[in-house]
Amino acid sequence: MKISVGISDMRVTKQSGVILVTHSLGSCLGLAAYDPLSKVAGLIHCLLPKPSGNKKAAENPAMCVSTGVPAMIREMFTLGAQRRNLVLKAAGCSRMVNVLNQFNTGLRNQEILLALLEHNGLQLAAGDLGGNIPRTMYLHVDTGLVLIRSKRKEREL
Amino acid sequence: MIKRKLILSQVRRVPMLSSTVQEGLRLLRDPQMDMGSLAQALQHDPGITANILRLVNTPYFGSVNRVNNLRDAVVRLGAKRVSHLLLTVAVTPRISGELAGYDQAPCTLLEQSLSIALAAELTAAELCITAPPHTFTAGLLANIGKIVINQFLHGEYDQVNSQVEQENLSFEAAERNVLGVDHPEIGAELLTFWNLPEDLVRVVRHFRAPDNCPEHDLTLDLVHVGSIVACMTGIGQGVDGMQYRISEAVVLRLGLDESMVQNVMVKLVDHVEKLKEVLPKCGK
Repeated sequence: MKISVGISDMRVTKQSGVILVTHSLGSCLGLAAYDPLSKVAGLIHCLLPKPSGNKKAAENPAMCVSTGVPAMIREMFTLGAQRRNLVLKAAGCSRMVNVLNQFNTGLRNQEILLALLEHNGLQLAAGDLGGNIPRTMYLHVDTGLVLIRSKRKEREL
Repeated sequence: MIKRKLILSQVRRVPMLSSTVQEGLRLLRDPQMDMGSLAQALQHDPGITANILRLVNTPYFGSVNRVNNLRDAVVRLGAKRVSHLLLTVAVTPRISGELAGYDQAPCTLLEQSLSIALAAELTAAELCITAPPHTFTAGLLANIGKIVINQFLHGEYDQVNSQVEQENLSFEAAERNVLGVDHPEIGAELLTFWNLPEDLVRVVRHFRAPDNCPEHDLTLDLVHVGSIVACMTGIGQGVDGMQYRISEAVVLRLGLDESMVQNVMVKLVDHVEKLKEVLPKCGK
């Protein structure tokens, strides 16, 4: 059973048989987090790096990397996930063929994620970040398997 | 080039817009238009009038008080804007199908096209400028060439993709190299075939590479930026992804900064969901 995670949205679950999926990662960040022992899974799709005074971003933590990732991980802890077991995999943060500062949201999303993880003593187990390509990200709740579909092909992250 | 000629010939196989729509557009272009004639022309397809009014009554088309008939719509918005709503309603079913060549499921080209159209309008709002009345429709039509290129891209995708990846080309440049023609050019030829106004044709032809347009065109600038912002959100994305170039000249001309772009992205995600609910349902 697939559960779709939209843009600026997140889902945390330990329900057996669920596949969390998020489509259309352009410059957005997709982060999959999983505790293989408690089988708690989380998937978030962040549009922007930081709230930066944006009212809607303040209302919806999942919209931004700096607020959404901590919120998702905290929610996973309430379902029994433990920090030492977390497996984190990231995808997205694409950019245009030529990069202008005004349109460099993908790189900013990536930078904020890496800084956040470093600050909290966490690191990515795998990542498929950057470039110009589209990506769809799947997280299988039973196994923690993360698949990326891009350019008609699917591969394990 | 044989491929180029073959693809161009396929433009003429795309069904014309219905005679009801064509007559409605003709009447709306006439400064002496009689409202009775317009209502009579459109009543052959009652769904069209109903859908125009649904659009008119969404916030994005500026209606504060409810509009209940075509006459009020024309008085409120002007004939030109109503003609573009008519075109929007007519074109929506044409861009709702699956595009296997671009790996776009049913409705995703529609979502992508709505995103470009809305992002163009939202960019103008963010800059506090008035978007020309055809901006939304130009954005909606920007990617329409994909419906023709799609059938040829399916078999040639590997070549197009290898050029994009190995030579760092934009996607439409690689299409042009492999197929002899790209989706913006085909889109422009299709709109010409449909006898649509030159101000729409120009935007569709140049929206991927606006620096090639001989004259400055505000709608073209807005649709170019709209297409970039839509790429960034990923809405309706196909295999082409973000494999396109941004025109620095356009960005400087408009005076965009990073926070403006991010504001447009935030509003776009919200508005696309709302607007999809108003348009005729997709197959799903």
